[in-house]
Amino acid sequence: MPSTDQPVPAPAAQAESPAPIQQSEASKLTGAELKKQKQAEKAARRAQAVQGKHIPTGPPPAIQKGEPKQQKRRGSTSGSRDLPIRQSESNAAPKPPPVEDKTVEFFRHLSKPHRKTIAGTPKDIHPAAQILGMQFSTYVICGSTARLLATLEVFKELVQSYVVPPRTTLKLHFTTHVLNPHIGYLISFRPLSISMGNAISWFKREISKVSIDLSDVEAKKRLCDAIDLYIRERVTFADHAIAKTTTEKVRDGDVILTYAKSSIVQRSLLQAHAGGKKFRVIAVDSRPLHEGKNLAETLANAGIEVKYCLINGLSHNIQDVTKVLLGAHAMMSNGRLLSRIGTALVAMEAKAAEKPVIVLCETVKFTERVALDSIVLNEIAPADELVIPGGALEGWRDVKKLQLCNPMYDVTPAEYIQMIVTESGCVPPTSVPVLHRLVNEPEIQ
Amino acid sequence: MPSQQAGFAPNLGFYLKSLKAQPVESSIENLISLLKRRQITNSRPCAVATAHLLLQVVAKFRWTNVDKLIERIQDVGRRLIEAQPREMVVGNIVRRVLGMVRDEAKEERNDDASDSASNSQMGSPRQDHSDQGASHLGGPPPSFSPLRFSTTEDSDSTEANGDDVFGGKHQAASRPPLITSHTSYAPAGGLPPQKSMFQLLSANPSPASTPSGAQSPHNTSSLNASSLAHRITTSSKDLKAEVIEGIEEIVDELDQADDRIAAQSLEYIHSNEVILTHSSSKSVQKFLLEAAKKRKFTVIIAESYPNDHEATHKSVTRSISTDAEGADELSTPKFSKSLSDAGITVILMTDATIFAIMSRVNKVILATHAVIANGGLIAAAGARIIAKAARVHRTPVIVVSGVYKLSPQYPFEFESLIEYGDPGNIVRYQDGALVENLEVDNPVYDYVPPDLVDLYITNMIVADHYKSEDINFDKPELQ
Repeated sequence: MPSTDQPVPAPAAQAESPAPIQQSEASKLTGAELKKQKQAEKAARRAQAVQGKHIPTGPPPAIQKGEPKQQKRRGSTSGSRDLPIRQSESNAAPKPPPVEDKTVEFFRHLSKPHRKTIAGTPKDIHPAAQILGMQFSTYVICGSTARLLATLEVFKELVQSYVVPPRTTLKLHFTTHVLNPHIGYLISFRPLSISMGNAISWFKREISKVSIDLSDVEAKKRLCDAIDLYIRERVTFADHAIAKTTTEKVRDGDVILTYAKSSIVQRSLLQAHAGGKKFRVIAVDSRPLHEGKNLAETLANAGIEVKYCLINGLSHNIQDVTKVLLGAHAMMSNGRLLSRIGTALVAMEAKAAEKPVIVLCETVKFTERVALDSIVLNEIAPADELVIPGGALEGWRDVKKLQLCNPMYDVTPAEYIQMIVTESGCVPPTSVPVLHRLVNEPEIQ
Repeated sequence: MPSQQAGFAPNLGFYLKSLKAQPVESSIENLISLLKRRQITNSRPCAVATAHLLLQVVAKFRWTNVDKLIERIQDVGRRLIEAQPREMVVGNIVRRVLGMVRDEAKEERNDDASDSASNSQMGSPRQDHSDQGASHLGGPPPSFSPLRFSTTEDSDSTEANGDDVFGGKHQAASRPPLITSHTSYAPAGGLPPQKSMFQLLSANPSPASTPSGAQSPHNTSSLNASSLAHRITTSSKDLKAEVIEGIEEIVDELDQADDRIAAQSLEYIHSNEVILTHSSSKSVQKFLLEAAKKRKFTVIIAESYPNDHEATHKSVTRSISTDAEGADELSTPKFSKSLSDAGITVILMTDATIFAIMSRVNKVILATHAVIANGGLIAAAGARIIAKAARVHRTPVIVVSGVYKLSPQYPFEFESLIEYGDPGNIVRYQDGALVENLEVDNPVYDYVPPDLVDLYITNMIVADHYKSEDINFDKPELQ
């Protein structure tokens, strides 16, 4: 923890506490919550001993920490805080039943609390990163490419606003003291996408390549230019090339099925329509994000004939389809596609109906990692996103042994995929590792 | 829309109460409109309503011979099916009743004829009919009902694959007589010699023999036809009383079907399994609850959005109150436990996650709306991708279904059996421009091909409940 952390602004702390307190007062205090309180108190005492301050740092899971904070304040006002409070807690502890873990067992390794507010943000986090974090968390910026672009733009702002401290250089200081905390902060809202991971390792390589002789201004300019170039080459131009190739693949009379929303699929279809191709689109969608509705709306407004259905209508529509176009979150090195949850079902039905499945994917989304199932590598979104306002699920946390699970991605087997359209051409799934080495790891050769 | 009608809307419970008071004709009209307006939906309520209505029809109909009764039941059945052709259980129940009437009539006949010398000839009436009918076989023109069901000859050829668990049996055995034998029963056709005698005996239904519900022994759980037949031969009750008793047994069977299926659950579920199921089926829930008495396991429930998710959510959070089935009257009141109460870990997931979690699932248990002649299912939309994903992962798929859901129908085009729901469930009317520009598709049912199903669990041994004469009773052009 950097020492700048110490004077946490009081308004922020206060802004954090009221709402959570209301919530935790409504729900009963249970054993594990008490345990957490105790742990938090312990941590606070330790922090006090070390730094002599009253409010703990770090990004705590906001909802459960609201209560402990209040207790701590009470404790610190009562002077001799340790023993009496601990006593009363240990008396109260056995009574309430142990709170159950609401995370699903086989996804537990992925279930991390997601930060929901910017309250409690460390002071040295750039405002642009705070905004981006909130946009991630509310799915305003959603989708692998959009998140990549937004992150790179924030990196650019970080570089521009960065002032090199005395007795050090940008090259030595920036990555560890500015970039990494910001990446960590963004991860606390949502895990990194594969494309973001690729871009970050590229950016760190770029920073390490900056010559130590360059002036700070020049070094910053060089980094910003590098980011611009990267965006242009790996995203803008790549999208352009992919859309062009895909447009050529669309024929008159085609019925194209797509799932959820992919920016590159949308762009390709719009471009094909503008090019005078006559085709129909079936947009399949699913809960809880309903991204496909956005796509369907955009396409329909452009004048394309669109049929919209949810995944329960998939089997009914697959027979009419001539091509399936899918977006990607990432392409794994074993040729499998990591994409929005439900994509594997679409590809499976397409395979069963013998329809070609074409994946549109920039090479920046390729990764050397492999995945055999959808459980090891995934992202679990907060389960409360599944609750329909006013529906029966609102009180699901009070129902014993009931768990909600909201994974974000699934892995589509390589045998369901006929072709991957990239900016470097159309390749089969087996060529993913080769292309990845060529494009994303040029230094290793 | 139907879900919005709360307590006061007419539902199954109300209908059954009204049955006793109203004249038969208005009861029939009432049920027809309830079916048309989808105020009685789903297999079991439809089956129960049909059985109760037929009970009234038989009880209040004054008939002089058994053909008249059969005609009357067929006529009522036709009207009900026309009202809602996709509720296949309605037709099934009518067929069951018709078959039962025919059985009773035959028994009666055999009793009477046992003295006469022509006994040996009576022993195989069906054989006679089919022989007689052979000359008629070329007759039926290939005409189709609005739903475009195939004629039976067509279906026999298209379902050559050996996977039909139920269909094969009664098709192979009884298809040939099915088209023709009815004509031999029809009043216009040549009457078999024994018919006149049997007319004489059943001609005068005594008023005393019109039993109320209380008269029938409710505790009789022996539902199979052979014991029924045995009882009939020993006692010589009036035919009408027998028929009414038979219908009451069907009603009892409908009541007990889920419990009888559930009783077998321990044979299929072992400890620490992960079981995937779909939407909110009472049969599946009872099945799992029964197993939960002895074993601990995990259940993953796919919520079946957008048509059944509310019921699913209610069933997992145990806020079951107003149920589409009219639970207050009919389903056993003691059943209010949810799975999570029974100590099972319940994981609710969206339909899209099925492929992702299928690698962790040990068994898939599905409920169904109907089972058609080739063993394929008409089940809640989404069932097909579940069954398919299970097949891809080599996970066994078990279907629990009462025998009353087995239908002898076999459509040309499965799409004809699929009902489409309210697109407003997917794109709300508030979405304005979207509603204008989009075509929205919301199927309620899926067709699941039989090769995706590993096992059917039913409430009793699948016997020939339907008489071949009645398979196409609702389509006179095929008879």
